[in-house]
Amino acid sequence: MSHISAVTGHYVSLDVDGTEYKVFYLENGSGQPLVCQHTAGCHNHQYRGLLEDEEITQNYRVIAYDLPRHGKSDPPENEQWWKEEYKLTADHFTKFIVAFCDALELENPIFMGSSFGGNVALQLAWRYPDRFAGVIPVEGADYSPGFYLDWWQHPHANAAQVCASGVWDLMAPQSPDQDRWKTWFYYTQGSESFKGDLYFYSVDHDLRDELGEIDGARCPVVMLTGEYDYLTTPEDGQRTASQIKNAEFIEMKKIGHFPMSENHEVFRGYLLQALEKLNSRAGRGLT
Amino acid sequence: MSVTTNAQSATDWSNAFAEASNSDPEIQAHGKYFTCSYLLDMTEHTFVVRMVSGKVAEIAVDPGPLDMGYQFIVRASAETWREFGTETPAPMYHGIWAATFQRDMQLEGDVLVLMQNLRTFTRQIELLRTVGVPV
Repeated sequence: MSHISAVTGHYVSLDVDGTEYKVFYLENGSGQPLVCQHTAGCHNHQYRGLLEDEEITQNYRVIAYDLPRHGKSDPPENEQWWKEEYKLTADHFTKFIVAFCDALELENPIFMGSSFGGNVALQLAWRYPDRFAGVIPVEGADYSPGFYLDWWQHPHANAAQVCASGVWDLMAPQSPDQDRWKTWFYYTQGSESFKGDLYFYSVDHDLRDELGEIDGARCPVVMLTGEYDYLTTPEDGQRTASQIKNAEFIEMKKIGHFPMSENHEVFRGYLLQALEKLNSRAGRGLT
Repeated sequence: MSVTTNAQSATDWSNAFAEASNSDPEIQAHGKYFTCSYLLDMTEHTFVVRMVSGKVAEIAVDPGPLDMGYQFIVRASAETWREFGTETPAPMYHGIWAATFQRDMQLEGDVLVLMQNLRTFTRQIELLRTVGVPV
């Protein structure tokens, strides 16, 4: 039986420090904006479950964008980007997210991201605490070295399969095959952006000396980490949250590094807990 | 296929592993170029697996030092392999990347060959969840 989803797609043009981007995003729902960042080398289909989650979209305007160079968001419109090696920096990444929220005129958005999106959520809480109503760093940490590898683009190996099967173990064996394989399939599509994203994830992102400057009362922080994540482990998440004033940490059982994509049904329970915590901080309960 | 016990002999295990691999739909669908040899070092036993076009051509059980050539090695303690050989492995024992980053597993030798065959090799190692391990 055919069915047309309530999820809609749009493009928005914006400028980040003179770099012009045409950004694709999916959205559904109404209420407080919940802005979602996919993981490195991937795209917004990782949030396919959340975008159609009726309970959450009743209360939140879920917006999942493709970062430039991912999915349907092209590389810079006004630069000869092919003449440079792509290396994402914390400075540019955070400025892009703020420019995106400004372009959509979002008020009091909650930002959620996974993996490098979790790390950038911490960067946003540190750099732009007044622009966001709160952040949900998923599978994030103060520092996550070790994944900026040449293997992702080695010319003697099949980059699509190395990227996709290289992140396979980041998912929990309990997650449904259909969803794990969709995630694998997404990862066959992004090897050219994956490594440059990981420059941010494993090299440029380092908040070990800045966590004490993040104020969870000013910008509430609720961290979520899956127990099968071997890159940013629950111990990493716990350690990071413990050094941020008023931050909270929730360990997610039977799930891994791509929770929204590998098992939305398990993830949504933890996400609802996180949203409830953010709302109680803001002095308003879920409607 | 049920999870076997540690009591199985290394030879029995090698036969079961070969059968599972050669009848696995995913490896057979995508293994056309899965041709390489690798050493599994389980501390108490070692195996050299020789793959040709997605089929197990040979498994040498506890080979002598120069009996067989191989291109890469996956080495870990018997305890780590035992954790791999369960139906639902505990966190950090659920794959070679996880156990290499967080436990005592080591990937050695010509790792490029491993990367060239990563998809099918990843599936093959997951067969330990049903075949078990002989250590």
